[in-house]
Amino acid sequence: MTSAIQAQHVTFGYRHDRPVLRDVSFEVRAGTFLAIAGPNGAGKSTLLNLLAGLLKPQSGRVLLAGVDLCSCPVQITARKVAVVRQEFVPAFGFSVLETVLMARTLYFGRLGFESKTDRELALRALELTDTTAFASRTLGSLSAGERQRVFIARGLAQDTPILLLDEPTSFLDLKHQVKIYDLLKSIQIEKGTTLVAITHDLNLAAQYCEETLLLYTPDRRPAESPSYRIGRTADILIPEEIERAFDVRVFSAMVGSDRLLIPRGTRPRGSEPCGRTP
Amino acid sequence: MPGTLSPGRLLFRTGVVATLLVLVMLACSLVGPQTISLKSVASVSTSAAAPNPDYEIFFRIRVPRIILAALVGAALAGAGVVFQALLRNPLADPYILGISSGAGLGVIVAILSGLTWTLWGRSPIALFAFLGALGTVWLVWGIGRSAGKYHVTGLLLAGVVVNAFLSALIMFLTSVAQSQHLYATIFWLMGNMTEEDFLVLWVGGGGIVAGLVGLFFLGPQLNIISVGSQDARSVGVPVERIELAAFALAAFITAVAVSLSGLIGFVGLIIPHAVRIVFGPDHRQLLPLSSLLGAMFLVVADTIARTIVAPAQLPVGVITAIMGGPFFLILLIRYSRKVYWLA
Repeated sequence: MTSAIQAQHVTFGYRHDRPVLRDVSFEVRAGTFLAIAGPNGAGKSTLLNLLAGLLKPQSGRVLLAGVDLCSCPVQITARKVAVVRQEFVPAFGFSVLETVLMARTLYFGRLGFESKTDRELALRALELTDTTAFASRTLGSLSAGERQRVFIARGLAQDTPILLLDEPTSFLDLKHQVKIYDLLKSIQIEKGTTLVAITHDLNLAAQYCEETLLLYTPDRRPAESPSYRIGRTADILIPEEIERAFDVRVFSAMVGSDRLLIPRGTRPRGSEPCGRTP
Repeated sequence: MPGTLSPGRLLFRTGVVATLLVLVMLACSLVGPQTISLKSVASVSTSAAAPNPDYEIFFRIRVPRIILAALVGAALAGAGVVFQALLRNPLADPYILGISSGAGLGVIVAILSGLTWTLWGRSPIALFAFLGALGTVWLVWGIGRSAGKYHVTGLLLAGVVVNAFLSALIMFLTSVAQSQHLYATIFWLMGNMTEEDFLVLWVGGGGIVAGLVGLFFLGPQLNIISVGSQDARSVGVPVERIELAAFALAAFITAVAVSLSGLIGFVGLIIPHAVRIVFGPDHRQLLPLSSLLGAMFLVVADTIARTIVAPAQLPVGVITAIMGGPFFLILLIRYSRKVYWLA
């Protein structure tokens, strides 16, 4: 197995004196589905942007298929990695199909028009994400969940060996959460795509992702201890780790072969004191 | 299969609108205080002793002015499209980053200093306007860039502040100016077409057309940039380079237009919106159609400006606002269901 993504001693902060990520090193083998989990502000999206080459590490480096991202112009990077985001700025009423076709901008012909292949990829992505029905509606007229599927379609249409997703299912209903993860899984299996998804849904991650990267809250970790853990999902998503990362109490139960994690909350119960318990 | 823009469809629509523009220009060239007919224009008298007055009016006065109006309208509408996309702001127009006040300041300085020298037999006012415009844009771009990575907002704020500052300077200078200088200044600030000779038209027109053609080829990149610069980067668009190129071209054609005709408001704001409302937001189409329709709009507005109170003339900027405002509001109400970006 070759490695699709390598992070080597990556350190990054938006301010120089306060790193968000400190000395993060890991490797994602090609064709793996990696989940990134962690509390708010732990640097999940920052890490994703570093992996996509949209941010440059202050020290250390990110390699995609062995090539340093820093030395890559965006045109090259965009052939290797696509990013699915959740932010949406209503801009000028582009339709769903137009939006998805934008993923192919890099491949447009000299006059700036898509080829037949571009169109086919876009239409296929619409089909896969169940969005063909509103292909000609504008993004602004969709619900947040529908829009999220369109963004996933755009990521798919870019047709890259690596797909990064920032909370791909945060606005989706149960059916579409499962459908999107099923879809991602089938892409992983059929095309060998490497997937990295930020998620807060640990139980979905446990079912679909072979590996998990768990980031801890920056202010909760001592300066010298590692700020993250990565490994097989079954080893990472266990109550002790979750309690450490999120500072909540977690109850775990086996359902069939899956371990489910249920946060237990800290509301006063019986004689227990109010507030968090260590 | 749902419809998107295809080269064929774009060519067809552009062709139809371009033909319409030529017809409108032709019709407008026949309108004026002096009635002329194409027939008598065509019957060129061969003897130099008896010049054909219809021919003279048509080719020396009307046609140059109509071509000028078309060029300026095309430049302003095209630049408006680009500024709205780059700033991701539907309120943007070609003047939003201070081009107008920069040019205005250049003109006032030229007029007040009583320039008597000429450039190839022409007044240097246009040159001062051009330099003032480009200098201001360069300044605003520099400030916006150094304001950091959120440079769209930084750029907008820098533009607004520089604009306000220079406008104050303009007002100061006009209030201390002598009255004979004042009239020329104010007429210029209100936007004014004059009969330019063909050399000016060739130079200005060449610059504007080249700029618009260059911008057309940035259409697909402008599409994704108008959605978001992070999105653009992740699909492989070198955002900084494209933004700089688009910005420079748009600023350049605006500066040319302003130096040819003064400050004509409204064209660069409402024409892009009108076209977007009717034809959709795709910049590959928005840019050529806005330019052609902006040209048409300004040709008609200028024809009204020079005929309605003939033999006197109104500044065309007055007409564009009076005519454009209600027209745009009608479009807005009629198509309000399609205007999601305003919601």
